[in-house]
Amino acid sequence: MNLLVWTLAVPLATAAIGALNGPRKFKEAVMIGGLAITFVLCIATTRQFLGGAIPAAFGEALRVDGLSALVVVLSGFVGLLSGTYAVGYLRRNEARNLVTPRMRREIHGLLPAYVFATLLVSMTNNLGIMWIAVELTTLASVFLITFHDRDTSLEAAWKFLVLGSLGLGFALLGIVLLFAAGEEHLGEGLSALNWTRFMQVAPSLHPFTLRLGVVFALIGYGTKAGLAPMHTWKPDAYREAPSPAGVLMAVGMLNGALYCVLRIHLISNAALGPAFSGDLLLTLGLLSVFIATPFILVQWNLKRLLAYSSIEHVGIMAVGIGLGGEAGAFGALLHMTYHSLAKPVAFFSAGTLAQLHSSSNFDRIGTGTFSRAPIASGLLVLATLMITGSPPFGLFFSEMVILKAGFGSQHVTATTLFLAALIVLFCGFVFQIGRLVLGPPRDPKDRRVPKAEQFDLSMATVIVAAILASISAFYLPASLLALIHAATQVVWGTA
Amino acid sequence: MAISDLLILCAAGMLVTAYLMVGQKALVTAVRLYGFQSLLLGIVAATIAISQPRRELFVTAAITVALKAVLIPWFLTRLIDRIGIRREIEPFLNVPTSLLVCLGLTVVGYRVSTGFQEGALGVAHHLIGVALSMLLIGLFLMVTRKKAITQILALLTVENAVFLVAVGITPGMPLVVELGIAFDVILAVLVLGILVHRIVDRFESMDVSRLSKLKG
Repeated sequence: MNLLVWTLAVPLATAAIGALNGPRKFKEAVMIGGLAITFVLCIATTRQFLGGAIPAAFGEALRVDGLSALVVVLSGFVGLLSGTYAVGYLRRNEARNLVTPRMRREIHGLLPAYVFATLLVSMTNNLGIMWIAVELTTLASVFLITFHDRDTSLEAAWKFLVLGSLGLGFALLGIVLLFAAGEEHLGEGLSALNWTRFMQVAPSLHPFTLRLGVVFALIGYGTKAGLAPMHTWKPDAYREAPSPAGVLMAVGMLNGALYCVLRIHLISNAALGPAFSGDLLLTLGLLSVFIATPFILVQWNLKRLLAYSSIEHVGIMAVGIGLGGEAGAFGALLHMTYHSLAKPVAFFSAGTLAQLHSSSNFDRIGTGTFSRAPIASGLLVLATLMITGSPPFGLFFSEMVILKAGFGSQHVTATTLFLAALIVLFCGFVFQIGRLVLGPPRDPKDRRVPKAEQFDLSMATVIVAAILASISAFYLPASLLALIHAATQVVWGTA
Repeated sequence: MAISDLLILCAAGMLVTAYLMVGQKALVTAVRLYGFQSLLLGIVAATIAISQPRRELFVTAAITVALKAVLIPWFLTRLIDRIGIRREIEPFLNVPTSLLVCLGLTVVGYRVSTGFQEGALGVAHHLIGVALSMLLIGLFLMVTRKKAITQILALLTVENAVFLVAVGITPGMPLVVELGIAFDVILAVLVLGILVHRIVDRFESMDVSRLSKLKG
């Protein structure tokens, strides 16, 4: 069987087994094993691509070019991290008798299903199947958001599902309009919705219908990516979801949705020139960065803080794509890669602190966590430095590349404002985390004593993730760098 | 009656059901209106399938009628029966004002539809005009209503509007994609239904304006 088919079949089978009841050890082994095999298969797929082939299956319904390969390998990596952390997460909660069979089924079934859906998004060449896969990630996340079954998790899930479905309705309309714009030229059958077909006939697409379609599709997928002003579901959902699921949303779904945005942007580029969708993305991206700023400064909850940071980062990537040019595209894709490496560390260390204090609210966690949980706090500080783009970590370089592209383009004012917002965001984020981690120690009379930190599977996962993310600042494997360049070629070469 | 008249009549009927939904407070009636709207969409698809031999559209018509005119309304009616909340409370905007706003939205929808290619004058022009108006009315319903069921109906109206565009101006979406979308829609309605159940259990109401704890 084809390699791509295996890469999709393994997480799907893992999800199917995970959704059943079974002995705990067996289910844990299946999830970690399944996701590890998936990651290996993702690497094999990218190897095949780097070897000069364009892996494809089902008559190009599945097709992996440079851009797909980059997103695929990042999804596989995050999937494995999240699965391993989730096993440790459940063990921790089990020690406190907080785990029901329902929770176990949901985590073991939905996490791999989520990985399957994000892989399908980035592997398919067909805009229709891509839409279906994005919708699947939405439906899979609902029950991850209601995992803790609190009043607020129902609220978050409802807002997420309604806004997400509306966004996907827009995206579907966008695809229908794109399809209508190419009526006679696209041909018939499943391949008529192939992205490659759209690129071939791009110059003959009907401009008005295409414009309308591009706007709807970008707004729709932008909602899933969490671009402002369609970002409002994000803080709620991130706060309520358990941290392993939060990582899949913050990295897997974000990359997947941004990938869809990019594909639509490329069609628009080829047909209408770079200004149309580029300017739209630049505006949405800047708006996201600006909107995230005040909310980070006054934030009251650790996981919501991470959500606003994720809105900021998707904004930065959109700005990079919107600025255009080879440098802008390279910066955005480099940013995506480093963000995927750094974000899990932030989420897992924050999740560990939240689990120890049974809440992610700043007032419940209290200040001075360093004296209570030195490893998790230390890792959170490290992650903060990474995701705020401090040198020597990778996001610093990718932000520099984007800024350089910006100052070299005609959007100098926009880039200046962007730089100012980045500086404020850096200060705000560091201030919040600094207060949390350092600060005076907790009042000894407080009776809600936090749990002690332990070295377990989850902790090991965070440490491995932190080591990998730190190494990546100084050394990116040659093949990963080649992949980023290949992805840049897809974005830039076809522009 | 000419084919084009039938098409325009059905499309106009869909727009009328959307207006009636805006003016309606009994939830079961709103669900039935949605069912009728979907039936009209099915007739539009079937008529186009016969008039310009496009076999794939028969499948679209069959899926639409079976799923959206029968299955989903049945599921939603059962949901309303089980939770025992039958009426929409006073919306954020009263009914006469809402209807006036929707009138304005229809004008906007029709105005945008004039931009499509030359072939889109005539019947297709009306189909797109109706679809865009329904899309806007669906969005309007979503932001002004408080009951969870009405919000689901608003989403489904938007979805019907998208399908009207699809049958009106495209040569028919590929079958695999069509089936996948149908599967996703039914799954989404199921998930929404489960969520409504849990919200009612928890808050003893399905007034979504009470879901307002999360801010900042």
